[in-house]
Amino acid sequence: MSETEKKVESAGLMKYSTENLVPFGPIHPALKEPEYFKLVLEGEKIVEVIPRIGYVHRGLENAAESRPWVQNMYMFERTCGICSFVHSLCYGQAVEGLTMYEVPKRAKYIRLIVAELERIHSHLLWVGLMGHWAGFETLFMWVWRDREIVLDIVEAISGNRVHKSMNAFCGVRRDMPENMDDRIVEKMKYLADRARYYREIIDTEETMLERTEKVGKVTADTAEKLCAVGPMARYVGIQHDIRLNDPYAAYDEVPFSIVTRNEGDVQGLLRLRLDEILVSTELVTYAVKHLPEGPIRVKIPPIIPAGEHSSHCEAPRGEIFYYVKSTGGRTPDRVKSRQPTMANLPTALEMLKGQTIADVPIVLTAIDPCFGCMDRMSFLDTETNRTWTWSGEQLRQYGIKYYKQRRT
Amino acid sequence: MSEIFLQRVESCAADAKTKVTKLRDHEFLIEVEQEYVKPLIMKLWNDGITRRLSTITGLDSGQKLGIVYHFWQNDDVLHVRTTVPKTNATAVSIVEIIPGAILYEMEIHDMFGVTFAGNPWMDKKLLLPETWPDDLPPPLLKTSKPAEIRKRLKLEVENK
Repeated sequence: MSETEKKVESAGLMKYSTENLVPFGPIHPALKEPEYFKLVLEGEKIVEVIPRIGYVHRGLENAAESRPWVQNMYMFERTCGICSFVHSLCYGQAVEGLTMYEVPKRAKYIRLIVAELERIHSHLLWVGLMGHWAGFETLFMWVWRDREIVLDIVEAISGNRVHKSMNAFCGVRRDMPENMDDRIVEKMKYLADRARYYREIIDTEETMLERTEKVGKVTADTAEKLCAVGPMARYVGIQHDIRLNDPYAAYDEVPFSIVTRNEGDVQGLLRLRLDEILVSTELVTYAVKHLPEGPIRVKIPPIIPAGEHSSHCEAPRGEIFYYVKSTGGRTPDRVKSRQPTMANLPTALEMLKGQTIADVPIVLTAIDPCFGCMDRMSFLDTETNRTWTWSGEQLRQYGIKYYKQRRT
Repeated sequence: MSEIFLQRVESCAADAKTKVTKLRDHEFLIEVEQEYVKPLIMKLWNDGITRRLSTITGLDSGQKLGIVYHFWQNDDVLHVRTTVPKTNATAVSIVEIIPGAILYEMEIHDMFGVTFAGNPWMDKKLLLPETWPDDLPPPLLKTSKPAEIRKRLKLEVENK
Protein backbone atom coordinates (compact mmCIF):
# COMPACT_ATOMS: atom_id res chain seq x y z
CA MET A 1 0.00 0.00 0.00
CA SER A 2 1.44 3.36 -1.00
CA GLU A 3 1.88 6.33 1.33
CA THR A 4 -1.07 8.17 -0.16
CA GLU A 5 -3.32 5.13 -0.02
CA LYS A 6 -2.51 4.71 3.68
CA LYS A 7 -3.41 8.32 4.27
CA VAL A 8 -6.64 7.97 2.35
CA GLU A 9 -7.61 4.92 4.36
CA SER A 10 -6.63 6.38 7.72
CA ALA A 11 -8.61 9.49 6.91
CA GLY A 12 -11.68 7.34 6.47
CA LEU A 13 -12.15 8.32 2.84
CA MET A 14 -12.99 4.78 1.79
CA LYS A 15 -15.86 4.80 4.25
CA TYR A 16 -16.72 8.34 3.24
CA SER A 17 -16.76 7.54 -0.47
CA THR A 18 -19.46 4.92 -0.14
CA GLU A 19 -21.59 6.97 2.21
CA ASN A 20 -21.45 10.31 0.43
CA LEU A 21 -23.78 9.85 -2.47
CA VAL A 22 -24.76 12.49 -4.98
CA PRO A 23 -27.82 11.01 -6.64
CA PHE A 24 -27.67 13.23 -9.74
CA GLY A 25 -25.16 15.78 -10.82
CA PRO A 26 -26.19 19.30 -11.65
CA ILE A 27 -28.16 18.93 -14.86
CA HIS A 28 -28.16 21.62 -17.50
CA PRO A 29 -28.93 21.38 -21.22
CA ALA A 30 -25.35 22.36 -22.03
CA LEU A 31 -23.73 19.60 -19.97
CA LYS A 32 -22.80 16.20 -21.14
CA GLU A 33 -21.06 14.68 -18.16
CA PRO A 34 -21.22 16.12 -14.68
CA GLU A 35 -18.22 14.67 -12.93
CA TYR A 36 -17.53 14.43 -9.25
CA PHE A 37 -14.04 14.52 -7.83
CA LYS A 38 -12.90 13.76 -4.32
CA LEU A 39 -9.81 15.74 -3.56
CA VAL A 40 -7.46 14.59 -0.81
CA LEU A 41 -5.64 17.61 0.59
CA GLU A 42 -2.59 18.27 2.66
CA GLY A 43 -3.24 21.77 3.91
CA GLU A 44 -3.76 23.72 0.71
CA LYS A 45 -2.14 21.17 -1.61
CA ILE A 46 -3.91 18.39 -3.49
CA VAL A 47 -2.31 14.99 -3.03
CA GLU A 48 -4.88 12.65 -4.51
CA VAL A 49 -7.97 12.90 -6.66
CA ILE A 50 -10.65 10.23 -6.93
CA PRO A 51 -13.07 10.72 -9.84
CA ARG A 52 -16.67 9.69 -9.87
CA ILE A 53 -18.52 9.98 -13.16
CA GLY A 54 -21.70 8.57 -14.61
CA TYR A 55 -24.37 10.76 -13.07
CA VAL A 56 -25.98 11.40 -16.41
CA HIS A 57 -25.14 8.01 -17.87
CA ARG A 58 -28.27 7.36 -19.88
CA GLY A 59 -27.39 3.96 -21.32
CA LEU A 60 -27.12 5.13 -24.93
CA GLU A 61 -25.10 2.06 -25.92
CA ASN A 62 -27.85 -0.20 -24.67
CA ALA A 63 -30.56 1.97 -26.22
CA ALA A 64 -28.78 1.83 -29.60
CA GLU A 65 -29.19 -1.95 -29.71
CA SER A 66 -32.96 -1.67 -29.95
CA ARG A 67 -33.20 1.23 -32.44
CA PRO A 68 -32.88 1.29 -36.22
CA TRP A 69 -29.50 2.28 -37.65
CA VAL A 70 -30.62 5.67 -38.87
CA GLN A 71 -32.42 6.61 -35.65
CA ASN A 72 -29.21 5.97 -33.73
CA MET A 73 -27.41 8.64 -35.73
CA TYR A 74 -29.66 11.35 -34.32
CA MET A 75 -29.60 9.80 -30.87
CA PHE A 76 -25.81 9.80 -30.73
CA GLU A 77 -25.80 13.40 -31.91
CA ARG A 78 -27.46 14.19 -28.60
CA THR A 79 -24.55 12.77 -26.62
CA CYS A 80 -23.11 16.26 -26.34
CA GLY A 81 -24.65 19.70 -26.36
CA ILE A 82 -21.54 21.40 -27.72
CA CYS A 83 -19.79 19.13 -30.20
CA SER A 84 -22.88 17.33 -31.44
CA PHE A 85 -22.12 17.14 -35.17
CA VAL A 86 -18.87 15.20 -34.83
CA HIS A 87 -20.66 12.38 -32.96
CA SER A 88 -23.09 11.74 -35.78
CA LEU A 89 -20.21 12.09 -38.26
CA CYS A 90 -18.10 9.48 -36.48
CA TYR A 91 -21.00 7.04 -36.02
CA GLY A 92 -21.99 7.62 -39.64
CA GLN A 93 -18.47 6.89 -40.89
CA ALA A 94 -18.31 3.69 -38.84
CA VAL A 95 -21.58 2.48 -40.43
CA GLU A 96 -20.64 3.69 -43.94
CA GLY A 97 -17.54 1.49 -43.67
CA LEU A 98 -19.79 -1.57 -43.53
CA THR A 99 -21.64 -0.65 -46.73
CA MET A 100 -20.24 -0.42 -50.25
CA TYR A 101 -21.47 3.11 -50.92
CA GLU A 102 -19.18 6.12 -51.33
CA VAL A 103 -19.81 9.53 -49.80
CA PRO A 104 -20.13 12.24 -52.53
CA LYS A 105 -17.31 14.77 -52.63
CA ARG A 106 -19.54 17.77 -52.01
CA ALA A 107 -20.96 16.12 -48.87
CA LYS A 108 -17.41 15.57 -47.60
CA TYR A 109 -16.68 19.29 -47.95
CA ILE A 110 -19.92 20.29 -46.23
CA ARG A 111 -19.08 17.91 -43.39
CA LEU A 112 -15.68 19.57 -43.05
CA ILE A 113 -17.21 23.07 -42.99
CA VAL A 114 -19.74 22.21 -40.28
CA ALA A 115 -17.16 20.29 -38.22
CA GLU A 116 -14.75 23.23 -38.32
CA LEU A 117 -17.47 25.78 -37.47
CA GLU A 118 -18.30 23.58 -34.52
CA ARG A 119 -14.65 23.57 -33.47
CA ILE A 120 -14.50 27.38 -33.56
CA HIS A 121 -17.71 27.59 -31.51
CA SER A 122 -16.49 25.04 -28.96
CA HIS A 123 -13.04 26.64 -28.58
CA LEU A 124 -14.53 30.14 -28.20
CA LEU A 125 -16.90 28.82 -25.56
CA TRP A 126 -13.92 27.33 -23.72
CA VAL A 127 -11.80 30.51 -23.90
CA GLY A 128 -14.73 32.45 -22.46
CA LEU A 129 -15.12 29.96 -19.62
CA MET A 130 -11.40 30.17 -18.83
CA GLY A 131 -11.85 33.94 -18.49
CA HIS A 132 -14.87 33.40 -16.23
CA TRP A 133 -13.09 31.00 -13.89
CA ALA A 134 -9.99 33.21 -13.72
CA GLY A 135 -12.13 36.19 -12.71
CA PHE A 136 -11.70 37.99 -16.05
CA GLU A 137 -15.37 38.56 -16.90
CA THR A 138 -14.71 41.00 -19.74
CA LEU A 139 -12.96 38.30 -21.74
CA PHE A 140 -15.91 35.99 -21.11
CA MET A 141 -18.40 38.57 -22.41
CA TRP A 142 -16.37 39.45 -25.49
CA VAL A 143 -15.65 35.88 -26.50
CA TRP A 144 -19.23 34.74 -26.06
CA ARG A 145 -20.42 37.66 -28.14
CA ASP A 146 -18.15 36.53 -30.96
CA ARG A 147 -19.37 32.98 -30.54
CA GLU A 148 -22.83 34.15 -31.61
CA ILE A 149 -21.40 34.88 -35.08
CA VAL A 150 -20.44 31.23 -35.54
CA LEU A 151 -23.76 30.04 -34.20
CA ASP A 152 -25.58 32.32 -36.65
CA ILE A 153 -23.66 30.80 -39.56
CA VAL A 154 -24.37 27.29 -38.28
CA GLU A 155 -28.05 28.19 -38.02
CA ALA A 156 -28.08 29.54 -41.56
CA ILE A 157 -26.51 26.32 -42.87
CA SER A 158 -28.36 23.72 -40.83
CA GLY A 159 -31.40 25.46 -39.40
CA ASN A 160 -30.28 24.87 -35.83
CA ARG A 161 -27.72 26.31 -33.47
CA VAL A 162 -26.55 23.24 -31.60
CA HIS A 163 -28.13 19.97 -32.73
CA LYS A 164 -27.53 20.39 -36.42
CA SER A 165 -28.87 17.01 -37.64
CA MET A 166 -26.87 17.58 -40.83
CA ASN A 167 -25.54 14.07 -41.29
CA ALA A 168 -27.14 11.18 -43.07
CA PHE A 169 -25.56 7.87 -44.07
CA CYS A 170 -23.33 8.52 -47.11
CA GLY A 171 -23.97 12.25 -47.29
CA VAL A 172 -25.55 15.24 -45.63
CA ARG A 173 -29.22 16.20 -45.38
CA ARG A 174 -28.96 19.84 -46.38
CA ASP A 175 -26.99 21.61 -49.07
CA MET A 176 -25.11 24.82 -48.36
CA PRO A 177 -27.44 27.84 -48.61
CA GLU A 178 -27.08 29.96 -51.74
CA ASN A 179 -25.25 33.31 -51.70
CA MET A 180 -23.73 32.62 -48.30
CA ASP A 181 -20.10 32.25 -49.44
CA ASP A 182 -19.13 35.90 -49.21
CA ARG A 183 -20.77 36.32 -45.84
CA ILE A 184 -19.01 33.25 -44.41
CA VAL A 185 -15.61 34.36 -45.76
CA GLU A 186 -16.09 37.85 -44.34
CA LYS A 187 -17.15 36.54 -40.92
CA MET A 188 -14.24 34.10 -40.84
CA LYS A 189 -11.86 37.00 -41.48
CA TYR A 190 -13.43 38.91 -38.61
CA LEU A 191 -13.20 35.91 -36.28
CA ALA A 192 -9.54 35.36 -37.19
CA ASP A 193 -8.82 38.99 -36.28
CA ARG A 194 -10.62 38.54 -32.98
CA ALA A 195 -8.69 35.33 -32.24
CA ARG A 196 -5.40 37.20 -32.87
CA TYR A 197 -6.56 39.94 -30.53
CA TYR A 198 -7.47 37.48 -27.76
CA ARG A 199 -4.11 35.83 -28.25
CA GLU A 200 -2.48 39.20 -27.59
CA ILE A 201 -4.62 39.66 -24.47
CA ILE A 202 -3.73 36.33 -22.90
CA ASP A 203 -0.04 36.89 -23.69
CA THR A 204 0.04 40.28 -21.95
CA GLU A 205 -2.84 40.54 -19.48
CA GLU A 206 -1.57 39.98 -15.95
CA THR A 207 -4.67 38.29 -14.55
CA MET A 208 -4.50 35.54 -17.13
CA LEU A 209 -0.72 35.11 -16.95
CA GLU A 210 -0.75 34.82 -13.18
CA ARG A 211 -3.55 32.29 -13.12
CA THR A 212 -2.37 30.07 -15.96
CA GLU A 213 1.43 30.08 -16.14
CA LYS A 214 3.10 26.94 -14.71
CA VAL A 215 -0.33 25.66 -13.59
CA GLY A 216 -1.29 22.09 -14.40
CA LYS A 217 2.11 20.86 -15.54
CA VAL A 218 2.30 17.50 -17.29
CA THR A 219 5.19 15.92 -19.24
CA ALA A 220 4.82 14.48 -22.72
CA ASP A 221 5.66 10.98 -21.51
CA THR A 222 2.96 11.06 -18.81
CA ALA A 223 0.34 12.40 -21.21
CA GLU A 224 1.14 9.66 -23.73
CA LYS A 225 0.96 6.90 -21.12
CA LEU A 226 -2.33 8.28 -19.77
CA CYS A 227 -3.77 8.19 -23.31
CA ALA A 228 -4.42 11.95 -23.51
CA VAL A 229 -6.13 13.02 -26.73
CA GLY A 230 -6.56 16.18 -28.79
CA PRO A 231 -5.41 19.53 -27.36
CA MET A 232 -4.37 17.77 -24.14
CA ALA A 233 -1.77 15.80 -26.11
CA ARG A 234 -0.82 18.62 -28.48
CA TYR A 235 0.00 21.08 -25.69
CA VAL A 236 2.89 18.89 -24.57
CA GLY A 237 4.19 18.48 -28.11
CA ILE A 238 2.62 15.15 -29.17
CA GLN A 239 1.47 15.09 -32.81
CA HIS A 240 -1.99 13.78 -32.03
CA ASP A 241 -4.61 15.02 -34.46
CA ILE A 242 -6.83 12.57 -36.33
CA ARG A 243 -7.46 15.20 -39.05
CA LEU A 244 -3.81 14.87 -40.03
CA ASN A 245 -2.92 11.36 -38.83
CA ASP A 246 -5.87 9.54 -40.35
CA PRO A 247 -7.77 12.02 -42.56
CA TYR A 248 -11.53 11.68 -42.90
CA ALA A 249 -14.18 13.82 -44.65
CA ALA A 250 -12.25 16.17 -46.99
CA TYR A 251 -9.24 16.73 -44.73
CA ASP A 252 -6.93 14.93 -47.17
CA GLU A 253 -7.80 17.44 -49.91
CA VAL A 254 -7.43 20.76 -48.06
CA PRO A 255 -4.10 22.27 -47.04
CA PHE A 256 -3.68 22.82 -43.30
CA SER A 257 -1.22 22.28 -40.50
CA ILE A 258 -1.88 21.32 -36.91
CA VAL A 259 -0.73 23.36 -33.92
CA THR A 260 1.47 21.87 -31.20
CA ARG A 261 3.07 23.63 -28.25
CA ASN A 262 5.68 22.72 -25.69
CA GLU A 263 4.81 24.71 -22.56
CA GLY A 264 2.82 21.91 -20.97
CA ASP A 265 0.80 24.26 -18.76
CA VAL A 266 -2.63 25.90 -18.93
CA GLN A 267 -1.15 29.00 -20.59
CA GLY A 268 0.04 26.74 -23.43
CA LEU A 269 -3.46 25.30 -23.76
CA LEU A 270 -4.94 28.79 -24.13
CA ARG A 271 -2.44 29.71 -26.87
CA LEU A 272 -2.98 26.36 -28.60
CA ARG A 273 -6.76 26.64 -28.72
CA LEU A 274 -6.67 30.23 -29.95
CA ASP A 275 -4.20 29.25 -32.68
CA GLU A 276 -6.48 26.37 -33.62
CA ILE A 277 -9.34 28.83 -34.15
CA LEU A 278 -7.14 30.55 -36.75
CA VAL A 279 -6.47 27.24 -38.51
CA SER A 280 -10.19 26.43 -38.49
CA THR A 281 -11.17 29.80 -39.99
CA GLU A 282 -8.66 29.21 -42.80
CA LEU A 283 -10.05 25.71 -43.36
CA VAL A 284 -13.64 26.96 -43.57
CA THR A 285 -12.66 29.77 -45.95
CA TYR A 286 -10.76 27.36 -48.23
CA ALA A 287 -13.55 24.78 -48.21
CA VAL A 288 -16.25 27.36 -48.99
CA LYS A 289 -14.24 28.73 -51.91
CA HIS A 290 -13.38 25.27 -53.31
CA LEU A 291 -16.74 23.57 -52.70
CA PRO A 292 -17.16 21.02 -55.51
CA GLU A 293 -20.40 20.65 -57.44
CA GLY A 294 -22.43 17.46 -57.38
CA PRO A 295 -24.90 15.46 -55.32
CA ILE A 296 -24.86 15.73 -51.54
CA ARG A 297 -26.22 12.34 -50.67
CA VAL A 298 -26.49 8.70 -51.73
CA LYS A 299 -29.53 6.84 -50.44
CA ILE A 300 -28.69 3.50 -48.84
CA PRO A 301 -30.97 0.62 -47.79
CA PRO A 302 -31.98 0.46 -44.09
CA ILE A 303 -30.32 -2.95 -43.57
CA ILE A 304 -26.58 -2.76 -42.97
CA PRO A 305 -24.49 -5.82 -43.98
CA ALA A 306 -22.95 -7.95 -41.20
CA GLY A 307 -19.51 -7.03 -40.00
CA GLU A 308 -17.68 -4.77 -37.62
CA HIS A 309 -16.04 -1.44 -38.15
CA SER A 310 -14.58 1.38 -36.13
CA SER A 311 -14.09 5.04 -36.86
CA HIS A 312 -12.36 7.91 -35.09
CA CYS A 313 -12.65 11.67 -35.63
CA GLU A 314 -11.09 14.78 -34.18
CA ALA A 315 -13.74 16.46 -32.03
CA PRO A 316 -12.93 19.89 -30.56
CA ARG A 317 -11.87 18.14 -27.34
CA GLY A 318 -9.87 15.36 -28.97
CA GLU A 319 -10.31 11.97 -30.54
CA ILE A 320 -13.78 10.46 -30.41
CA PHE A 321 -14.19 6.81 -31.21
CA TYR A 322 -17.12 4.70 -32.42
CA TYR A 323 -17.19 0.96 -32.91
CA VAL A 324 -20.18 -0.73 -34.54
CA LYS A 325 -21.00 -4.41 -34.95
CA SER A 326 -23.75 -5.57 -37.27
CA THR A 327 -25.31 -9.00 -37.66
CA GLY A 328 -27.09 -7.93 -40.82
CA GLY A 329 -30.30 -6.74 -39.20
CA ARG A 330 -32.23 -3.52 -38.92
CA THR A 331 -30.61 -2.67 -35.58
CA PRO A 332 -26.95 -2.77 -34.54
CA ASP A 333 -25.66 -5.65 -32.44
CA ARG A 334 -23.32 -3.38 -30.49
CA VAL A 335 -22.29 0.26 -30.63
CA LYS A 336 -19.44 1.52 -28.50
CA SER A 337 -18.73 5.21 -28.18
CA ARG A 338 -15.86 6.83 -26.34
CA GLN A 339 -15.77 10.57 -25.73
CA PRO A 340 -12.61 12.67 -25.35
CA THR A 341 -13.34 13.77 -21.77
CA MET A 342 -13.21 10.13 -20.70
CA ALA A 343 -9.78 9.76 -22.28
CA ASN A 344 -8.51 13.04 -20.82
CA LEU A 345 -9.71 12.42 -17.29
CA PRO A 346 -6.60 10.52 -16.05
CA THR A 347 -4.40 13.34 -17.37
CA ALA A 348 -6.57 15.97 -15.65
CA LEU A 349 -6.21 14.10 -12.35
CA GLU A 350 -2.44 14.10 -12.85
CA MET A 351 -2.53 17.85 -13.57
CA LEU A 352 -4.42 18.51 -10.32
CA LYS A 353 -1.88 16.77 -8.09
CA GLY A 354 0.39 19.29 -6.41
CA GLN A 355 -1.88 22.25 -7.21
CA THR A 356 -3.73 24.34 -4.64
CA ILE A 357 -7.52 24.37 -4.25
CA ALA A 358 -7.54 27.82 -5.85
CA ASP A 359 -6.27 26.29 -9.10
CA VAL A 360 -8.91 23.55 -9.29
CA PRO A 361 -11.45 25.49 -11.42
CA ILE A 362 -8.79 26.55 -13.91
CA VAL A 363 -7.21 23.12 -14.25
CA LEU A 364 -10.49 21.25 -14.53
CA THR A 365 -11.81 23.72 -17.10
CA ALA A 366 -8.51 23.43 -18.96
CA ILE A 367 -9.30 19.90 -20.17
CA ASP A 368 -12.55 21.37 -21.56
CA PRO A 369 -15.01 19.10 -19.83
CA CYS A 370 -18.61 20.12 -19.80
CA PHE A 371 -18.65 22.29 -16.73
CA GLY A 372 -21.04 20.28 -14.59
CA CYS A 373 -18.03 18.76 -12.87
CA MET A 374 -17.40 22.10 -11.18
CA ASP A 375 -20.68 22.28 -9.43
CA ARG A 376 -20.19 19.95 -6.58
CA MET A 377 -16.98 19.06 -4.81
CA SER A 378 -16.19 17.67 -1.39
CA PHE A 379 -12.91 18.46 0.32
CA LEU A 380 -11.15 16.37 2.91
CA ASP A 381 -8.23 17.69 4.95
CA THR A 382 -5.95 14.74 5.81
CA GLU A 383 -4.48 16.60 8.77
CA THR A 384 -7.69 17.47 10.58
CA ASN A 385 -10.13 14.99 8.99
CA ARG A 386 -12.47 17.92 8.42
CA THR A 387 -14.77 17.62 5.41
CA TRP A 388 -16.77 20.31 3.69
CA THR A 389 -18.58 20.90 0.43
CA TRP A 390 -18.35 23.87 -1.89
CA SER A 391 -20.45 24.81 -4.84
CA GLY A 392 -18.78 25.88 -8.08
CA GLU A 393 -19.47 29.55 -7.40
CA GLN A 394 -17.95 29.41 -3.89
CA LEU A 395 -14.88 27.72 -5.34
CA ARG A 396 -14.58 30.39 -8.06
CA GLN A 397 -14.79 33.19 -5.52
CA TYR A 398 -12.20 31.43 -3.35
CA GLY A 399 -9.78 31.14 -6.28
CA ILE A 400 -10.10 34.83 -7.18
CA LYS A 401 -9.67 35.92 -3.52
CA TYR A 402 -6.66 33.63 -3.03
CA TYR A 403 -4.78 35.14 -5.95
CA LYS A 404 -5.72 38.71 -4.92
CA GLN A 405 -4.33 38.11 -1.44
CA ARG A 406 -1.17 36.53 -2.80
CA ARG A 407 -0.53 39.59 -4.91
CA THR A 408 -0.64 42.04 -2.00
CA MET B 1 3.38 3.11 -43.75
CA SER B 2 0.91 0.30 -43.74
CA GLU B 3 3.34 -2.42 -44.84
CA ILE B 4 6.00 -1.61 -42.25
CA PHE B 5 3.31 -1.47 -39.59
CA LEU B 6 1.89 -4.82 -40.69
CA GLN B 7 5.33 -6.47 -40.66
CA ARG B 8 6.05 -5.25 -37.15
CA VAL B 9 2.61 -6.32 -35.89
CA GLU B 10 3.00 -9.73 -37.54
CA SER B 11 6.27 -10.37 -35.72
CA CYS B 12 4.52 -9.56 -32.42
CA ALA B 13 1.57 -11.79 -33.30
CA ALA B 14 3.91 -14.69 -34.09
CA ASP B 15 5.24 -14.52 -30.51
CA ALA B 16 1.67 -14.68 -29.22
CA LYS B 17 1.02 -17.77 -31.43
CA THR B 18 -1.63 -16.09 -33.54
CA LYS B 19 -2.08 -14.36 -36.89
CA VAL B 20 -3.01 -10.94 -38.18
CA THR B 21 -6.20 -10.67 -40.23
CA LYS B 22 -6.58 -7.79 -42.64
CA LEU B 23 -10.12 -6.40 -42.35
CA ARG B 24 -9.78 -3.54 -44.86
CA ASP B 25 -7.08 -1.16 -45.98
CA HIS B 26 -5.22 0.10 -42.92
CA GLU B 27 -7.37 -1.96 -40.54
CA PHE B 28 -6.08 -5.14 -38.91
CA LEU B 29 -7.36 -7.64 -36.35
CA ILE B 30 -5.48 -9.97 -34.01
CA GLU B 31 -7.43 -12.65 -32.17
CA VAL B 32 -5.42 -13.82 -29.20
CA GLU B 33 -5.77 -16.16 -26.22
CA GLN B 34 -6.25 -14.47 -22.83
CA GLU B 35 -2.81 -15.58 -21.50
CA TYR B 36 -0.94 -13.89 -24.37
CA VAL B 37 -2.77 -10.55 -24.21
CA LYS B 38 -0.44 -8.86 -21.75
CA PRO B 39 2.86 -9.92 -23.38
CA LEU B 40 1.48 -8.95 -26.81
CA ILE B 41 0.32 -5.49 -25.73
CA MET B 42 3.55 -4.95 -23.79
CA LYS B 43 5.55 -5.65 -26.95
CA LEU B 44 3.30 -3.45 -29.12
CA TRP B 45 3.47 -0.56 -26.68
CA ASN B 46 7.06 -0.73 -25.43
CA ASP B 47 8.57 -1.25 -28.90
CA GLY B 48 6.68 1.82 -30.08
CA ILE B 49 4.72 -0.06 -32.76
CA THR B 50 1.63 1.67 -31.47
CA ARG B 51 1.46 4.30 -28.73
CA ARG B 52 -2.19 5.19 -29.11
CA LEU B 53 -4.99 3.30 -27.36
CA SER B 54 -8.42 4.53 -28.42
CA THR B 55 -10.47 2.50 -25.98
CA ILE B 56 -11.38 -1.00 -24.84
CA THR B 57 -14.73 -2.44 -25.94
CA GLY B 58 -16.68 -5.18 -24.23
CA LEU B 59 -18.78 -7.50 -26.40
CA ASP B 60 -21.44 -10.03 -25.50
CA SER B 61 -21.19 -12.70 -28.19
CA GLY B 62 -23.55 -15.30 -26.74
CA GLN B 63 -21.46 -18.03 -25.13
CA LYS B 64 -18.48 -15.86 -24.28
CA LEU B 65 -17.58 -12.26 -23.59
CA GLY B 66 -15.24 -10.48 -25.96
CA ILE B 67 -12.78 -7.76 -25.06
CA VAL B 68 -11.39 -5.65 -27.91
CA TYR B 69 -8.44 -3.28 -27.51
CA HIS B 70 -8.45 -0.60 -30.21
CA PHE B 71 -5.01 0.75 -31.11
CA TRP B 72 -3.98 3.10 -33.87
CA GLN B 73 -0.77 4.60 -35.20
CA ASN B 74 -0.78 7.14 -38.01
CA ASP B 75 -3.39 5.89 -40.49
CA ASP B 76 -3.33 2.26 -39.34
CA VAL B 77 -5.89 0.80 -36.95
CA LEU B 78 -5.30 -2.40 -35.00
CA HIS B 79 -7.89 -4.33 -33.01
CA VAL B 80 -6.70 -6.92 -30.49
CA ARG B 81 -9.54 -9.24 -29.56
CA THR B 82 -9.67 -11.78 -26.77
CA THR B 83 -12.45 -13.76 -25.09
CA VAL B 84 -13.29 -14.61 -21.51
CA PRO B 85 -15.92 -17.05 -20.18
CA LYS B 86 -19.23 -15.57 -19.03
CA THR B 87 -19.24 -17.04 -15.53
CA ASN B 88 -16.56 -15.66 -13.20
CA ALA B 89 -15.22 -13.54 -16.02
CA THR B 90 -11.63 -12.58 -15.23
CA ALA B 91 -9.21 -10.89 -17.57
CA VAL B 92 -5.69 -9.62 -17.12
CA SER B 93 -5.28 -5.87 -16.60
CA ILE B 94 -2.96 -3.81 -18.80
CA VAL B 95 -2.85 -0.84 -16.41
CA GLU B 96 0.82 -1.61 -15.60
CA ILE B 97 1.75 -1.06 -19.23
CA ILE B 98 -0.78 1.67 -20.14
CA PRO B 99 -1.96 3.55 -17.02
CA GLY B 100 -4.53 5.41 -19.13
CA ALA B 101 -6.50 2.17 -19.60
CA ILE B 102 -7.70 2.25 -15.98
CA LEU B 103 -11.08 3.92 -16.67
CA TYR B 104 -11.77 1.79 -19.75
CA GLU B 105 -11.28 -1.38 -17.68
CA MET B 106 -13.51 0.00 -14.93
CA GLU B 107 -16.20 0.69 -17.52
CA ILE B 108 -16.15 -2.93 -18.77
CA HIS B 109 -16.16 -4.10 -15.16
CA ASP B 110 -19.33 -2.07 -14.55
CA MET B 111 -21.09 -2.91 -17.78
CA PHE B 112 -20.11 -6.58 -18.37
CA GLY B 113 -18.95 -7.78 -14.95
CA VAL B 114 -15.44 -8.66 -16.11
CA THR B 115 -12.87 -8.44 -13.30
CA PHE B 116 -9.46 -7.20 -14.42
CA ALA B 117 -6.75 -8.77 -12.25
CA GLY B 118 -4.19 -6.09 -11.46
CA ASN B 119 -6.42 -3.00 -11.78
CA PRO B 120 -6.25 -1.14 -8.43
CA TRP B 121 -9.73 0.38 -8.72
CA MET B 122 -11.74 -2.81 -9.28
CA ASP B 123 -13.54 -2.32 -5.96
CA LYS B 124 -15.00 1.01 -7.10
CA LYS B 125 -17.84 1.80 -9.44
CA LEU B 126 -17.32 4.21 -12.32
CA LEU B 127 -20.62 4.53 -14.16
CA LEU B 128 -23.07 2.51 -12.10
CA PRO B 129 -24.45 3.87 -8.81
CA GLU B 130 -22.72 2.66 -5.65
CA THR B 131 -26.05 1.23 -4.51
CA TRP B 132 -26.13 -1.16 -7.49
CA PRO B 133 -27.28 -4.52 -6.01
CA ASP B 134 -24.68 -7.29 -6.38
CA ASP B 135 -27.22 -9.86 -7.56
CA LEU B 136 -28.35 -7.77 -10.55
CA PRO B 137 -26.75 -8.83 -13.84
CA PRO B 138 -24.36 -6.33 -15.48
CA PRO B 139 -26.53 -4.00 -17.61
CA LEU B 140 -24.98 -4.42 -21.06
CA LEU B 141 -25.26 -8.22 -21.19
CA LYS B 142 -27.81 -9.33 -23.79
CA THR B 143 -29.75 -11.19 -21.10
CA SER B 144 -30.23 -8.05 -18.98
CA LYS B 145 -33.54 -6.26 -19.34
CA PRO B 146 -33.48 -2.47 -18.78
CA ALA B 147 -37.11 -2.42 -17.55
CA GLU B 148 -36.34 -4.98 -14.82
CA ILE B 149 -33.22 -3.10 -13.75
CA ARG B 150 -35.16 0.15 -13.51
CA LYS B 151 -37.88 -1.52 -11.44
CA ARG B 152 -35.34 -3.07 -9.08
CA LEU B 153 -33.36 0.16 -8.60
CA LYS B 154 -36.59 2.02 -7.85
CA LEU B 155 -37.40 -0.59 -5.19
CA GLU B 156 -33.94 -0.15 -3.64
CA VAL B 157 -34.49 3.60 -3.33
CA GLU B 158 -37.96 3.15 -1.83
CA ASN B 159 -36.70 0.65 0.73
CA LYS B 160 -33.99 3.00 1.92
